[in-house]
Amino acid sequence: MKIRSFINFIPVALMLALIMSGCAQQQGATTASQEAKPAVAEKKDPFVLKGPVVGRSNKAKTISITVGSGAAAKTMMVRFDDQTEGIEYAKKGEAAIIRWEQRGEDKFATVIKPKLAKLPEGVTEINVDELYQLLEDQVPMTLVDARPELRYNQGHLPTAVSIPVPKLKEKKAEVLPQDKDKLLVFYCGGYT
Amino acid sequence: MSTANAGLAKKLGYTNVRAFLAGEPAWSEEGYPVYASNQFVGKGNIVLIDLRKGDAPVKGRIPRSVQIHYDELENRMDDIPRNAPVVVYSDNMEEAQDAYEDLKDEGFKTVAMVKGNFQGWVASGAEVESGPIFSNEIRWVRKLGKGEVSVAEFRQAIMGELPDTFVVDARTKDEVAELGIFTNTVNIPLDEIPKRMNELPKDKRIFVHCSTGARADLAYRELIGNGFDVKFLLLDISDAECDCPIIIPAKQG
Repeated sequence: MKIRSFINFIPVALMLALIMSGCAQQQGATTASQEAKPAVAEKKDPFVLKGPVVGRSNKAKTISITVGSGAAAKTMMVRFDDQTEGIEYAKKGEAAIIRWEQRGEDKFATVIKPKLAKLPEGVTEINVDELYQLLEDQVPMTLVDARPELRYNQGHLPTAVSIPVPKLKEKKAEVLPQDKDKLLVFYCGGYT
Repeated sequence: MSTANAGLAKKLGYTNVRAFLAGEPAWSEEGYPVYASNQFVGKGNIVLIDLRKGDAPVKGRIPRSVQIHYDELENRMDDIPRNAPVVVYSDNMEEAQDAYEDLKDEGFKTVAMVKGNFQGWVASGAEVESGPIFSNEIRWVRKLGKGEVSVAEFRQAIMGELPDTFVVDARTKDEVAELGIFTNTVNIPLDEIPKRMNELPKDKRIFVHCSTGARADLAYRELIGNGFDVKFLLLDISDAECDCPIIIPAKQG
């Protein structure tokens, strides 16, 4: 059995962490109001699907993707072929932007791009090692797990508290620390 | 999700807000510790492993735990159901951490530790069980997820014992030609489902299967979104548990 101190950093994992998709790619219903704000007020293109990828079947050559949010969320399935660009970005649990075209009775993906997380203004990203160091040094902070409560219960980061997005929307500052200058770090499920 | 929360916090006047975008998967990927809530340790559908040695668990243990001393873990790895969430604890932090990492390396997806280890559990005032241990067998049964049909019910359908049910095989034509098809089943490959929905009855329940359940899941989502009463089978159909009769196509030429 491999024995390894958890203080060791593993370069490969580090790289992984860097190239890994952001949490926003998993957003569902909860970010609707955010998304509706000016930045994303671009025109809806019916031949573009944006959202988290539900799954990709290489045997059937299809991609299923969830578009829309809340009650309007639905899963769309498109086919792909050897001409489809960026098929590597259609990864389960990660958000993608799929451009498609109608061919006969079928919808075919033509170009797939990753949908990157947009950080709200004034919010900076923190990486895995930096966060680890802050926890290790016991820097005062409130670490918030924004995933649904069940996921938190199954396993969460040390010292993290559970505040799923709907709860924060409802209770606002009531569930956050009183000191508004204290470091506040949010995380979620990254990718699945 | 973290960006949504971070944006909201910023609006509420918090000045020092950061988002750990890579999230929990990146954290646990590094082998950094992840803890289960005590409530989940107590009630969740988990495999709970007591890593302590000798009669320590007899003197006091977390209810429902199975004793597997850390040195034995490698040998017992195959006894732990692959899909089970696993929670480990010990009285030694390093051992719990090592077991946590070993299980993750072995491919278990949901692995966590008990906060503060056994000592932390006791200190939290949660229930401790003591006395002789009669069995160290791991018992864990997966609960059906959303949209899943049980193997038993699926089997009834392909045996023709569920009159209002229509079974779809979402594998490719080539797979069906090579391996055969279940009785009372219609082959509609996943990629053809959108354009062949008119072949599916709206007044019957639909069960979808494929070879492992991945495509059946996607077919399920496609159909449920189009108003069908549908469930899918999450099972490798070569699994003996299925025990479903197959019609083997006649060899051609």
